[in-house]
Amino acid sequence: MKFNIPASWYEAVDKFDEGVTVGAGGLAGHASPELAAQHAHVGRDDGRIAFYQFVTLARRGRGMSVEELASEADIDLGELLAMEQHDSHFIPDTRSVYQLANVFSVSRPKLMALAGLTRPKDDDVIGEAMKFAARSVSVQTLSDAERAILEGYVSLLNEKAKLGGD
Amino acid sequence: MSFLSTVFLKRGDSGEKVVAELCDAIEPVDIIDWATHWLPARDQCLNILQAANAPPEAYPQSAHWNWMDKTRSMQGLLALQGLSIRCEGRTQGLMRIDLASEQCQLESQRSQPMVYVDYIEIAPWNWIGPYFNPPRFRWAGQILLRAAVEISLDQAFKGRIGLHSLPQASSFYRRCGLTDCGPDPNYPRNLPYFEATPEQAMAFLNQGGSK
Amino acid sequence: MLTKKTMTLNLTDAEMQVLEDLCAKKDLSKTAVLRQALRLYQLVDVRLEKGDKLVVENDTTKEKAELMMLS
Repeated sequence: MKFNIPASWYEAVDKFDEGVTVGAGGLAGHASPELAAQHAHVGRDDGRIAFYQFVTLARRGRGMSVEELASEADIDLGELLAMEQHDSHFIPDTRSVYQLANVFSVSRPKLMALAGLTRPKDDDVIGEAMKFAARSVSVQTLSDAERAILEGYVSLLNEKAKLGGD
Repeated sequence: MSFLSTVFLKRGDSGEKVVAELCDAIEPVDIIDWATHWLPARDQCLNILQAANAPPEAYPQSAHWNWMDKTRSMQGLLALQGLSIRCEGRTQGLMRIDLASEQCQLESQRSQPMVYVDYIEIAPWNWIGPYFNPPRFRWAGQILLRAAVEISLDQAFKGRIGLHSLPQASSFYRRCGLTDCGPDPNYPRNLPYFEATPEQAMAFLNQGGSK
Repeated sequence: MLTKKTMTLNLTDAEMQVLEDLCAKKDLSKTAVLRQALRLYQLVDVRLEKGDKLVVENDTTKEKAELMMLS
């Protein structure tokens, strides 16, 4: 579908552009009627399980119930209960990890990394992106020119990954 | 087959209008951009927030999203559609919409079909906040929202759209003229739910929003 | 939009009545209703193929009941 936005609309929008970062959509673990289990993740599943194990052990080490920890960390009880299931597919909220790091007095960046909320090594991500690029579009639907561009891009990324660049 | 439309973004520093393209699909180049450019930029933003000891509410609530997964699961499904905005060789915004799974909740249009905005996200260098540099480009979010409304019209849903706003963005949707239905108890973390009637949709298309 | 294809649809009186009722209820044309039906059918079919169940829940009593399997 093509879109045709009149010039006047941009002027109008500018008046209402108050400087807010736009965003909408489900947070980690939400059960919407969407099709697949949409679990956004950029970390390793085994790291995340270790994160959940840490949360459980740290909580129990302080003699706290799940309710008490949820209250002290000011995070959603349902989310904390989900973490305690140690399901690597459940993705914790960024804010919740931040809050837990404060409660447990541990490094926030390291806990974020353990929870899989900071990105893995460049080549892992690039490798995933290349595999996606190669698989996600039916090659038959690409024209010869488009296929050449895609293969060129994949080669370029391979080079960058090997060189450790960008 | 996807279509490209010419749109304009505004440079965050100079205010200059820049030619961009709105694509009615999320394509491999967008995912490659997300993986190779959005993620490192996002990490930089998170590092800035951590170094500044920023409060939790300053953290972008979409920071953990994986557009590879969101796009992969969409493919072949009639109900789901992605859109992207690109400018100066980079993807500036992404959106995924659902044409079938959700129905309107406002009393005046209860159970009518709508375009539901599953996810909408702007590239990290376009994020706005006291800890970040001025955004490189503005208007990407508004253009994607407009696209959702236009698709709703095209599908005979009369412009009706709905979405659960990340709390940081609630004022944006109010300004666009959507009805703020308040926290949704049926949604995780009671995210606020917004919905547009046909009248509100037309106001947004014609006037860009409302005070 | 992609190139559109045309088909003729033969419906019984009862089916046509249901279609018309849905059109009125959803404020949609017949084509739009059938498009929605196709989208939903595909969504449900894919979930069922994965082994999920299609369940309805009473909003008041929270009682759940499994719908007929469509696959």
